[in-house]
Amino acid sequence: MAIAQSSKARTPQRGPRSKGSGIGERALAKIFLTPSFTFMAVIALFPVIYAVWMSMYQITGFRQEFTGFGNYSQLLSDGGFYNAIRNTFVFTTVSVAFEFVIGLMFALIMNQAFRGQGITRAIILVPWVIPTAVAAQVWRYMFSDNPGFVNGLLGTSINWLNDPTWSMVGIITADVWKTAPFVALLLLAGLQTIPREYYEAAEVDGAGAWRRFWSITLPLLRPAIIVALLFRTVDALRMFDFAYVFAGYSNSLATLSVYTQRYLYAEPELGYANALSTATFIIVMIVGIFFIRLMGQQTVGSEKGKKK
Amino acid sequence: MNTATDPSTRKTSGAGQEPPRSSNTPYWLSNTLRLLGMVVVIVWCLFPFVWMFMTSLRSGAIALTNPNIFVGPFSLDNFIQIFELDFQFALRNSLVVAGLATLICIPVASLAAYAIARLPLKGRAVILTLALVATMFPPVALVPPLYQMYQQIQTWTGISLLNSYSGMVIPYVALTLPLSIFILVTFFSGIPRELEEQGKIDGATPWQIFLRIILPLAAPGVGTSAIIVFVYATNEFLLAFSFAPRDLNVQTVPVFIGTFQRVGYENPIGQVMAASVLVSVPLIIFALVLQRRITAGLTAGAVKG
Amino acid sequence: MRSTPVHKTGALLAGLVVAGGGLAACGSPDSQNGNGEAGEAAFTWAVTGADQAIHEAVADLWNEQNPDQMVNVEFLSPEADQQRQAMFQDLQSGTGAFDVLGLDVVWTGEFAEAGYIMNLEDHRAEVEGVSLDGAVESSSWENELFAMPYSSNAGYLYYRTDLVDEPPATWDEVLESGVEVGDEAGIGGYAGLGNQYEGFVVTFLQLFWSAGGEVYNDDQTESTFLEGDAAERALDFLIDGREQGLFASGFDSMVEDDARSLFQAGDSVYMHNWPYALPLLEGEDGEESDVAGDFDVAALPGFDENPGVGALGGLNNAVSELSDNQDVAEEFVVWAATDADAQQTLLDMSLPSTMLSTYDGADDPNVQLLGEILAEAQARPAVAGYNSLSLAIQENLHSAFLGQTDPEQALQAVDEAATDALSAE
Repeated sequence: MAIAQSSKARTPQRGPRSKGSGIGERALAKIFLTPSFTFMAVIALFPVIYAVWMSMYQITGFRQEFTGFGNYSQLLSDGGFYNAIRNTFVFTTVSVAFEFVIGLMFALIMNQAFRGQGITRAIILVPWVIPTAVAAQVWRYMFSDNPGFVNGLLGTSINWLNDPTWSMVGIITADVWKTAPFVALLLLAGLQTIPREYYEAAEVDGAGAWRRFWSITLPLLRPAIIVALLFRTVDALRMFDFAYVFAGYSNSLATLSVYTQRYLYAEPELGYANALSTATFIIVMIVGIFFIRLMGQQTVGSEKGKKK
Repeated sequence: MNTATDPSTRKTSGAGQEPPRSSNTPYWLSNTLRLLGMVVVIVWCLFPFVWMFMTSLRSGAIALTNPNIFVGPFSLDNFIQIFELDFQFALRNSLVVAGLATLICIPVASLAAYAIARLPLKGRAVILTLALVATMFPPVALVPPLYQMYQQIQTWTGISLLNSYSGMVIPYVALTLPLSIFILVTFFSGIPRELEEQGKIDGATPWQIFLRIILPLAAPGVGTSAIIVFVYATNEFLLAFSFAPRDLNVQTVPVFIGTFQRVGYENPIGQVMAASVLVSVPLIIFALVLQRRITAGLTAGAVKG
Repeated sequence: MRSTPVHKTGALLAGLVVAGGGLAACGSPDSQNGNGEAGEAAFTWAVTGADQAIHEAVADLWNEQNPDQMVNVEFLSPEADQQRQAMFQDLQSGTGAFDVLGLDVVWTGEFAEAGYIMNLEDHRAEVEGVSLDGAVESSSWENELFAMPYSSNAGYLYYRTDLVDEPPATWDEVLESGVEVGDEAGIGGYAGLGNQYEGFVVTFLQLFWSAGGEVYNDDQTESTFLEGDAAERALDFLIDGREQGLFASGFDSMVEDDARSLFQAGDSVYMHNWPYALPLLEGEDGEESDVAGDFDVAALPGFDENPGVGALGGLNNAVSELSDNQDVAEEFVVWAATDADAQQTLLDMSLPSTMLSTYDGADDPNVQLLGEILAEAQARPAVAGYNSLSLAIQENLHSAFLGQTDPEQALQAVDEAATDALSAE
């Protein structure tokens, strides 16, 4: 929408607008963006360049040898890498889906007025504020056969930590528990922007709760939903703690981050580790850009249409 | 979005909304169902926390072998022990680091988000993409290059970012900026343009418009971002462990917990849980207070504005 | 708009920062982490945060004797991966802040091959015959010393004296009596290091060695993992044990302290664990445990006539190649290996020492037994790729143990990994 606005409004309004501050809006925009991009450039630019550079070397201890794309061709024939991709995608798809549904439910609850509203909101946020590494340990204990808390509760005798399928269910459960409140918080903020009149009008028209949800809440919540899904997805693609705490470097749960860490510290092959992190970066980037395009069509696109 | 709404009467579906009630179910039934749902939600959210809390009160082997968390003996020993290990400093460090990160991140992100959402800017989508991509590097692989960079900065300028608050605050700000910018962009975009136009007619500068009109109306977004940055910074382990691993003057709570000293292979589970419980409490209060202000402040601000 | 919510947020945050500052305003942390003397110290010793007090006592002893070249101890995390991260960070960035590296016994080959640590072959005469053979072996890479023995460790077989009269002499007896007695008492038969981690490698190698196996030939040039039937026998024991219900519940995700707690609660007939569990099993916090007085320790059993073989744990001290103070650092690592007082300090504070003579005069029968076990204990192979080999054992044999993969293929895979671990690649 800013693009549409600027092309229309640039020349005629420029004079009066810049009167008070002495700075034009276009200059102001650049000034406003500078601090953010300085921070991000400092922290992000060098590591990426460094990683790509290092991924061209074979590094053992203090010795390094240039191999060009050697690490990448090793990567493409490494079963462990594909296994990590598979684990990562299974984890991401399922956990983000559940987090979204449960998070939305939480947000709707948090958005309602009832007695004990404050305490409920606090309770919903509890899982999210517990340090991730601790949460992972807590869940590992609860799933572990000894003392056997979850099995005792469910009356099952599942090997939660060693069965490849069930342990995946385990880390997804733990992650959903931990991060659904985060999604809820983002969606709750979005719900705050939906004007109440819309609901009142719909109620007058005789629309039921379900219908109001589908035709008002969901569409108007779309920007918030996309932001929530985007950030959850790119985070889930880089998930580390739960998989590592539950199963160490075991292939049954190793995600891309765990697999990278394995070559950083457990079996140090720095060049290869950097090739892995670059590959992870590219994968996450592709998914992220896909979401941004989706988002662009939703918000920018619709506004543009309206303006014309 | 909802450009047609009159801004001065703009109310939200926030705290005041009647719970939507389906007309064809009896009142008591829907109430019971709602209550039941609430119990499920509360149990789901709380039972690991209750487990943590009870474990922090139990000691030694019993915590590891008896799944029934309500079997004692209970004591506050674990809490006393972690304070003997100077947990209060770790807690202070966490609060300071998270507070600084939030105080820096939110204004910086607000400016950028405003520029992206409102000011004339070429390649808005590209800028958003860049902001996101910038921090997509896997955190595990971020550590070695950043460590190297901190070393270089120290040799060149003499400024030591290792074992300092800034060494954590700077990356935390950078890594939470994208999310904050994205949240705020969606909020700023949702604010009716008429409000700004009105401000311009009244002779306000863009800066004044941003500060006086846009920011207050985007309060839920600002508050949400603040909570997220704060919680992220208190939860982060990897960077904190790599850049400030031992010095208690700067060590944060997750590192304190993660590197707990121990005797032999003894698992200090009780102390770990005690520390986690203690760090969660201020966070919950912080989130709660902030949220209440957001919802309360929004209606007040809108009426005044 | 004097008090918009945004301003309130800022104020609240500022308040929190101030509160955080005030929280500990009454003082600043003392030198509890050992970094207080950093200013006057001549060199730094990076060592695990496990058993912190013991390493501190050793450092104090050195400082008393060498007031002009004091050591500053940097306690790393007790977790192996985090220790490695801290050390790699120091080495790869060229910082060189750590002069002495306290290395897990299995890391010597890897660090030596990487060029991180100094060759200490000149000091061989000072430790040979003085320190445990296994400890010296674990300090060597390609037949040269790259570290000095410091602390040691080897597992006992813990058993319940109220349930079995004599400790079993063979693994087959463990299997038989563990299942039977455990069933009768309604508890597990055997607890130990069963999770998929380094501890499982210890569990497996002990069985493998006591079945007569060796991972490599004498000069470590080729894998002999599949020679004879040792590997098969060791894995079969684990699989049979699982199928017959020998293992206590949760064995396959059990680490040291899980096993200890379970045994302590009286839920297992046997347990394999390190000596650290001994005092805890008698009781914690002044309270008697469920098994106090009802258990004892023995050496690990073997297969057939072979005696049991323990896997050696512990730490070796190495001198960083990047140290600015290599002479003093070298002096320190030799001292820590050979000074009778330093070594006695370890043992007195219940961390097994590596100096043979410390066990000679021991009154405590358990310490005497430990001395005997350590004398026969075997070091895990100190090859450069040990960690890769270990991960391969964990991945393949743990899933074979659980019946998820074919045992024969799993053993094949480990043999290949053993061969790979020899070459520098």
